[in-house]
Amino acid sequence: MNKGLVSGLVLLTIGLVCGILLSVVNSFTAPRIKLEEDKIKYQALEEFYTLADYDISEYEANGAFATIYILKEKGQSDISALVYTVSAQGFAGPVQMLIAVNSDLSVEGYKVVSHTETSGYGADIVGNNFGVSEIDDLAGFDAVSGVTKTSNAIKECFNLVAQRINSDLGGGLSE
Amino acid sequence: MDNLLVLAFSAFIIENIILSQFLGICPFLGVSTKRSNALGMGLAVIFVMLISSSVTWLLYKYVLEAFSIEYMRTIVFILVIASLVQMVETFLKKVSPPLYKALGIYLPLITTNCAVLGVALININEGYNFLEMLVYTTFIGLGFLFVMYIFSMMREKIEMAPVPKAFKGAPIALLVAAILAIIFSRFGGII
Amino acid sequence: MNKKDNLLKGIIKENPLFVSLLGMCPSLAVTTSLENALGMFLGVFFVLVLSNLIISLIMSNKKLSQLVKPVRIPVYIVVIATLVTIVEMLMHAFLIDLYLSLGVFIPLIVVNCIILGRAEAFASENKPVDSVIDGIGMALGYGMAIMLISIFREFLGKGTITIWGTLQLDLNVIFNFLKIEPISMFVQPAGAFLTFGLILAGITAIANNKKNKLAKEVTNNG
Repeated sequence: MNKGLVSGLVLLTIGLVCGILLSVVNSFTAPRIKLEEDKIKYQALEEFYTLADYDISEYEANGAFATIYILKEKGQSDISALVYTVSAQGFAGPVQMLIAVNSDLSVEGYKVVSHTETSGYGADIVGNNFGVSEIDDLAGFDAVSGVTKTSNAIKECFNLVAQRINSDLGGGLSE
Repeated sequence: MDNLLVLAFSAFIIENIILSQFLGICPFLGVSTKRSNALGMGLAVIFVMLISSSVTWLLYKYVLEAFSIEYMRTIVFILVIASLVQMVETFLKKVSPPLYKALGIYLPLITTNCAVLGVALININEGYNFLEMLVYTTFIGLGFLFVMYIFSMMREKIEMAPVPKAFKGAPIALLVAAILAIIFSRFGGII
Repeated sequence: MNKKDNLLKGIIKENPLFVSLLGMCPSLAVTTSLENALGMFLGVFFVLVLSNLIISLIMSNKKLSQLVKPVRIPVYIVVIATLVTIVEMLMHAFLIDLYLSLGVFIPLIVVNCIILGRAEAFASENKPVDSVIDGIGMALGYGMAIMLISIFREFLGKGTITIWGTLQLDLNVIFNFLKIEPISMFVQPAGAFLTFGLILAGITAIANNKKNKLAKEVTNNG
């Protein structure tokens, strides 16, 4: 037989063996890789929920909203919680927040992700407790004194979420 | 358009392939002793990089992703680059002997040049579209040429300088590269 | 050559990084912390030992080596690339922090001249056992070299030495005692060139010194 052809066949065989080997290894590692990637991607949500208990998907909203994370308990088809990335105009620029709301409208937690307020005027809002526990009841909203505009921006964020939460829970997020 | 300009500038200077990403150090130290060599190597790298990045990008998008066998990319890319270098070599020999004479000796060195594979992989990792990929690759290549050329001019002078014995050759070259890297890192303030 | 010499030559006499200047790119890029250097060493160790083993197994079989010879370089590349991809997948699955900080330099182990170089120069002409020993020696030599660079860089640049994860040696006391800050330049690109250049010069100086002594002894004796 032609020598070049034989060498080509040898190369092809080795390539095939390697390809099969790789696909075997891949089938073992792929699920774990996905889990680890999700962990990094949804790191921001970790302080509200235990990520391993939920199936998480994303919805790209527009306007004041950026990504909305949809959490469903493993094996369930109903939404058990929604986490909103929402922003509103503060004193010097937009204030962006993560607001986590359970399906019974109780607020699991919230966090100021980024803001451009000068330190001393808005920086201390990051870890502040605004006294919100129900998304549809902002009467107890506890503003930070002296930074009215920033506090208002945060209240606005909660309001924006409250306006759409019912329709979102009712299936408004499915494309 | 603004995005592309920023991409081009940072690929050329700030994220310079040699001085900040450490790809293609071997030719940087090995072939930069003479200006003409640096120029030849730089041009050959740009040439091969552009072809191989385009081919690997298309292969990744339309073959590997389509069959969802992305994990084969390292194997496929290195084989594509190795055979492309061979093809370019034979092609140049036939079509343009003067160009082959100028670039030919650098071509076999390019297969094991991590810059070519590195850029092909970066283009995929960063998720560039085809146009961004072309701009990024071109300017990364120009950055390579630029730094090689500057460095070769400095090394021609160093050859004649009274360098301590222990520093002769690679050590002094690395120290000069360190100074160049400091200068280049300061350009980051422009953007 | 006995087995001990075979193992040791990779570490000192033929150290791939400091003597042969092979595999420079990753050694400059990933030496920002000892942890990264250790990770890179693990990757190179796995790939180099196994590729030496597989290639010498293929080439020591007479019939097979006849068939492979005309296409041996592509065969080596395929074998090495497969091993590298396996390392990449395992690291991605089990050591994701390391995977992210080493980034593109894991797949680039493929074009690390050390591995292809050992395959062509040693594994293709020697028995499997010797090839594995050669691979272990070379990988250890390379690993020690990059770890040495990374210890200098991390200590001078950040004042710490990270061994693995949270296992970290905090040596900032030294900087506090001297009333200076760690020199952050050393963990930036420029510091890589500087550290590597200085270490290389140091090694050359020691080697020259030894040579001179040897030469003197020879002249004295003669």
